[in-house]
Amino acid sequence: MTATLKQHLPVLLVVGPLLVAYILPVLFRRTRLIRGLTVAIVALGLLGTGYLAIFLLPSVGSSIVYGVGGWSAPWGIELVAGNLGVFFALMVTGVGLPISLYACGALGQEVSPSETRSKFLVLYLLLTGALAGMAFTNDMFNIFVLVEVATLSCCGLVSARRGAKAASAAFNYLVLATIGSSFILAGIGMVYITTGHLNIGFANGELVKAWSTYPHVIWLAVSFFLVGFGVKGALFPLHVWLPDAHSSAPTPASAILSALAVKGYALCLMKILYGVFGASLITTLGVNRILVILGMVGTMAASILALGQEELKRRLAFSTVAQVGYVFLGLGLVNVTGLTGTLYHMASHAMIKSSLFLAAGTIVTTTGKTRISELAGIGKKMPVTMAVFTIASLGLVGIPLFSGFVGKWYLLLGSLEVGGVLAAAVIILGSVLCAAYLFPIIRVAYFEPAPQEDWQDPGVLEKIAMIGLAVGVLVLGTVPGSYLEMAVQAASELLFK
Amino acid sequence: MAAILFVIGVVTVLTRSNLFKKLLGINIMESAIYLTFVAASNRRDGVVPILDLANPEQPYINPLPSALMLTGIVVSVSVTAFALALIVRLYRSYHTTDARQISRMKDEVTNG
Repeated sequence: MTATLKQHLPVLLVVGPLLVAYILPVLFRRTRLIRGLTVAIVALGLLGTGYLAIFLLPSVGSSIVYGVGGWSAPWGIELVAGNLGVFFALMVTGVGLPISLYACGALGQEVSPSETRSKFLVLYLLLTGALAGMAFTNDMFNIFVLVEVATLSCCGLVSARRGAKAASAAFNYLVLATIGSSFILAGIGMVYITTGHLNIGFANGELVKAWSTYPHVIWLAVSFFLVGFGVKGALFPLHVWLPDAHSSAPTPASAILSALAVKGYALCLMKILYGVFGASLITTLGVNRILVILGMVGTMAASILALGQEELKRRLAFSTVAQVGYVFLGLGLVNVTGLTGTLYHMASHAMIKSSLFLAAGTIVTTTGKTRISELAGIGKKMPVTMAVFTIASLGLVGIPLFSGFVGKWYLLLGSLEVGGVLAAAVIILGSVLCAAYLFPIIRVAYFEPAPQEDWQDPGVLEKIAMIGLAVGVLVLGTVPGSYLEMAVQAASELLFK
Repeated sequence: MAAILFVIGVVTVLTRSNLFKKLLGINIMESAIYLTFVAASNRRDGVVPILDLANPEQPYINPLPSALMLTGIVVSVSVTAFALALIVRLYRSYHTTDARQISRMKDEVTNG
């Protein structure tokens, strides 16, 4: 029994959340059971990935290859639980667990009636399953399907809130995301036509030959992938849907969208660029330079735009665009240090941005204030919430001992390694701007006189969720240890297979 | 052919302000991709991919792209359904299906 369980662990981690997601609507009135199941399956996922990371992976050496349905690679769909996949899955479940706890506690204030709430959890689990799938899959068409599952559930999550604003944000998101996935599908089609394979490893083997025969098709395929995943992952000029969607979604949805969903697409782009095309071809095509430039422009422009936002959640949404700029910048660096930085920054940003959004959402729902200038004295009224917000802000700015520092440090070293002085300057300047748009919020909250109203910290579940994430930020910053080691391994596996 | 359809689709989505036309644009774009895939799987004098023991060397049409596109069509149907539901919701609150008017009304709400 345990042996079979161990053997099928990678696929179970993906199928588990999806399966439970489909069971939930059947239990429509039993709210407690639904919430319990949601948290339980995400917690099991975390346990499973933890087991995979700590016991299974070191015993096998490099990675566990799993053919779905017993069909091995060129015919069947292949799941690979290597360092990259496990790293990402750990991040998904590690951040997903607190968010699901929070969703169980606080969703009632924003999403009603209770049936909509359980549907929200269904979508939440679908998204988690899809993200876990993206972490492990090694098949391009599978990536497309998972991307679509994730996109649809993201749009559903955004539209879960009542009111036309959320609906229009969700519609815009849906339209742009579908354009993005069409581009991705077209790109997959071109790679399939030129190589005859959908499996990433096999396609890579054939692509070297195909490159000399059909260079134009490969060019087109790369640019289609770049545009497609760029739209979905909010690469700078294609980010227009993000601020509306992320700021009008319910709190836990904004948290998971900003923290995990965007990273999922960045991970898929990473897998396709480095897995299918390979590092040398990327450099020949110049994709890496495009990514670095767009990442730099994105970081700067979105940070400056964030400064101009008066609404708390919108400011955080623009900050996500800026931080995603870092991720894409690191993707274009094509060296181990840069890629490590990208991966680690993904994980730390996931922790940070989810705690920021949870704290901000709590403030907005309890006080009803959305503007930053109205937040005077929140720090005294809601000490836990604001403390979490402060820790996460310090993390995002990249103060040493907080998780943001480690990722940015590696990105900085990585860009200096390839002589990108400008990129290094942008990384530092981005941090400064980040401080410029986050610290005023903290100043207003702590150092301005509090109004007479009676605001309180949220319930126990929400507190646990936020404190858990804040502790995560500190742990990732002070003892990166084996998690960082995993990122380094994953980066070098991507570069030199 | 597929490329022309694709471009028509993209242009429709991006330039038309009617929400239904945007949705149709998406569908045209997706059809273009399906067409590319299925066309790529075709080959001259190919037959249905069922093994004929009398003539095992007979070239056959690759069934994989068709199977993939079946999945793709399912995906696009669900996207379309979801988008239509959102359009209904938007129409109920704004009484129009024009994206420009909706965004104008949204601005008025936030400013006033």
